[in-house]
Amino acid sequence: MSLLELKNISKIYGELKALDNVSLHVDQGEWVAIMGPSGSGKSTMMNIIGCMDKPTKGEVLLDGVDIAKESSKKLTDIRRDKIGLIFQQFHMVNYLTAVENVMVAQYYHSMPDEAEALEALGRVGLRERARHLPSQLSGGEQQRVCVARALINHPELILADEPTGNLDEANENIVLDLFRQLHREGTTLIVVTHDPEVAEAAQRTIVLEHGRVAREIVNENFQA
Amino acid sequence: MFLRMITASLLRRRSRMLVALLSIGIGATILSGLVTIYYDVPRQMGAQFRNYGANMILLPSGGEKLTTGEAQEALGAIPADQLVGATPYRYVTAQMTRSQLSFMAAGTDFTQVQATSPYFMVEGAYPSGSREVLLGEEVAQTIGAKLGSVVEISYKPDAASADAATPITPGAALAGSAEGFNTNLVYVTLTLDDEMKIASLTVNADTQTPEYGGRAAEETYTRQFIGKSLPVRLGEDVDALSGATITSDAVVQAVNSARPTANAAAASGNTLSLRVVGILDTGGKEESYIFLSMSDMAALTGAEDELDVMELSVSASGAELEGYVSEIAEKHSGITPRLVKRVTRSEGAVLSKLQALVFLVTAVVLLLTMICVSTTMMAVVTERRKEIGLRKALGASDSSIRAEFLGEGLMLGGLGGALGAALGFVFAQVVSVHVFESSITFQPLLLPVTILVSMIVAAVSCLLPIKHAVAIDPALVLKGE
Repeated sequence: MSLLELKNISKIYGELKALDNVSLHVDQGEWVAIMGPSGSGKSTMMNIIGCMDKPTKGEVLLDGVDIAKESSKKLTDIRRDKIGLIFQQFHMVNYLTAVENVMVAQYYHSMPDEAEALEALGRVGLRERARHLPSQLSGGEQQRVCVARALINHPELILADEPTGNLDEANENIVLDLFRQLHREGTTLIVVTHDPEVAEAAQRTIVLEHGRVAREIVNENFQA
Repeated sequence: MFLRMITASLLRRRSRMLVALLSIGIGATILSGLVTIYYDVPRQMGAQFRNYGANMILLPSGGEKLTTGEAQEALGAIPADQLVGATPYRYVTAQMTRSQLSFMAAGTDFTQVQATSPYFMVEGAYPSGSREVLLGEEVAQTIGAKLGSVVEISYKPDAASADAATPITPGAALAGSAEGFNTNLVYVTLTLDDEMKIASLTVNADTQTPEYGGRAAEETYTRQFIGKSLPVRLGEDVDALSGATITSDAVVQAVNSARPTANAAAASGNTLSLRVVGILDTGGKEESYIFLSMSDMAALTGAEDELDVMELSVSASGAELEGYVSEIAEKHSGITPRLVKRVTRSEGAVLSKLQALVFLVTAVVLLLTMICVSTTMMAVVTERRKEIGLRKALGASDSSIRAEFLGEGLMLGGLGGALGAALGFVFAQVVSVHVFESSITFQPLLLPVTILVSMIVAAVSCLLPIKHAVAIDPALVLKGE
C-alpha cells in the first residue's frame, strides 16, 4: 500500500529547476534512501516530503492527501501528526534536558507524558542520561535523543536528513540498528544521505542528479 | 510543560534573560519610584508650602467678634494631622504713652504664630511670659525702642469718638476705623505733616478678603494717600482697589473720620508696661504692628476672648480646603471661612506642573524600557532561530510559538515588575529623603500595579520579536549549516 506518492513534481526557483518532473512512490513500511551530490535537489525533496515546502508543479500524496494543495497551517498539522524528523545537526533545544526535548514533541502533538518519554529514551539506550542537558551529551547521544523524539508520537513516516553525517562509525551503527528496529516494527523510513554505507542499509536507493531521478537501486542484500 | 519550557528557558539561559530582566526591572524601578513620588509630592510639597503662611482664615460674620471657643469648634472640621497651626488675632489701636503715637496692636498666640507664619524673622525671641511684647521693626525704629526696653502702651475703648472734641492740628497723629466688606472693621492710623497733608498711613485690612480688600494694607496702595489733604475723595484723590470697592471706601471713610489720638492716655483707659523681647522683620505690614499675648491684650482692652480673625495653615489639597470652607460655613453661621487664594492657587499650579513633569519622565522611561526589552527579545529571537525552526518542524503552530514568547515576556515582566516595585520604593525613599527631607509612605496598591504595567510593557515589547519568530521557516533546520 502506498504511503507517499510524488507525481511529476517540479520546484522552480526563478531560472533554477531544483526538482524537474520527479516521480517517486514509497510503500507503507518501506525503507528508502535518497542519495545524490550537493545541489541535486535532495534538500528540496526532503522539504516537500516533510511538509515544509510545496512543489511548483505536481501532486504530493501523503496517506492519500495532496499536501501540495494544503495551507501552511494544515501542513504543520500533517507534519506533526504523521512525520518524525531527524536532522544532521541533531537540533535539540539547548536549555531543555534530554527527556524534556522528547516531551516538546509530545507537547506540540498532544499531551506531554514524562513516563512515555523516558521509555522512548530507554529504547535508544539513554534512560540514564535523561536528565542531562544537550551540552552534557555526546553527538551520538544527542542523535539518539533525536531518534527517540522522532518516534515518540508514533509517526507513519520517519524522515531523516543525513542522520549519521556528524557521527563516528560506532554511533552510526547504533543509529542504523535503531532504524532496522523501527523498520521491523513497520515504520516507513526515508533517509537522505551522502554515505553509501547508510544507503546500503535501506531496501531501495533513489539517486538524484540535477533535479531528476538518475537511477534507482534495489538492495539485493537487504536484511530486515 | 508550557511553564516548564519557559521557566527552563529563563533559568538556563541566564545571561541573556538577565539583561532583559534588568531592563524591565530598572524601568519598573523608575516607574514605581516616580509614581510613589507622584502621589507623595502633594503631601511633601504641601509641607513645604506651609512655610509661606496661612492658606485659610476664619472671620466673624457680620462685624461681630469671634470667640476663641467658636473658632476652636470650627477647627473640628479639619483633621488634626492636616492642621499645621491656627493663630488667633485681635486688633486694636493702641497708643505709646511716651511718644503719643498710635500703632496697631495685635493680640495673638505666639506658639501658633510660629506655625502659621514661619517666615517671621524675630530678632531676640517671641514673647513667652506675660507683659512681654514683640515690636514690628518699623515701630521699634519710630519710637527708638531696643531689645530689653520697656514700653508703655495704653488703650481707650472707642478712642476716636472720645477724642472727637480734640481739634486736628498740623503734625497730629490720627486713628480711625470704618466698616468694610462684610461689615468687618478696617483700621487706619495716620500722621499729618505741618501743612495738614497726610505724611504716613498704615492700614489694617486683615479682616477683609485677603486677595481683594486685604491688598488695601499694601504700601503700593497706601502711598497714594501721602501728600493728600483731608478729606480724601475716593475716585479723585485716590483710586479704588480693583475688585474691592467696599474696602477702598472703608479705608477712605476711616481716614476721613480719624481723630487725634494724642492725650488718649490722659483719658481713662488701661495702660500696660511691656518689655520688648523681640523685634519683628517680615518685609511686610506686620513691621508696623505691636504684638502681644492674648492675655495681655485682654488686660489692655478689658475684653476677654474676642478675635478679629483666625489664620489657619492647613496642609491639604485645594479641593479638600474648599470642602473644609463649605463645611465650616454651613455648620457655623457666625463664622465666615475664606481661602487665601494667592497661596492655595500657586500651590495648585506648582503641584500640577511638578506632577506633569514626573508623569512625562515616567512615560519616557517606559518608552525606553520598551525599546530596550524589544531589542533584547529581538536578539533572543535571532539567537534562537534554529530552536524556533526546530519547534515548528516538530509541529509547533504559529500560535504556540506566540504563546511561548509571550509567556516568557510576561514572566520577565512579572519578575522585573516585582523587583522594580521593591527597588522603586527604595529609590523613592532615597529621593524623598534627599530632596524633601522626609520619608515616604509605602503604597501597597503600587506593587500589583507596577507588576501589571511591567507585564504589559514586556508583552508589548515582545510583539515585534514574536512577529519575526513566527515568520521563521522550519525548513532552515534541515539545511546542514
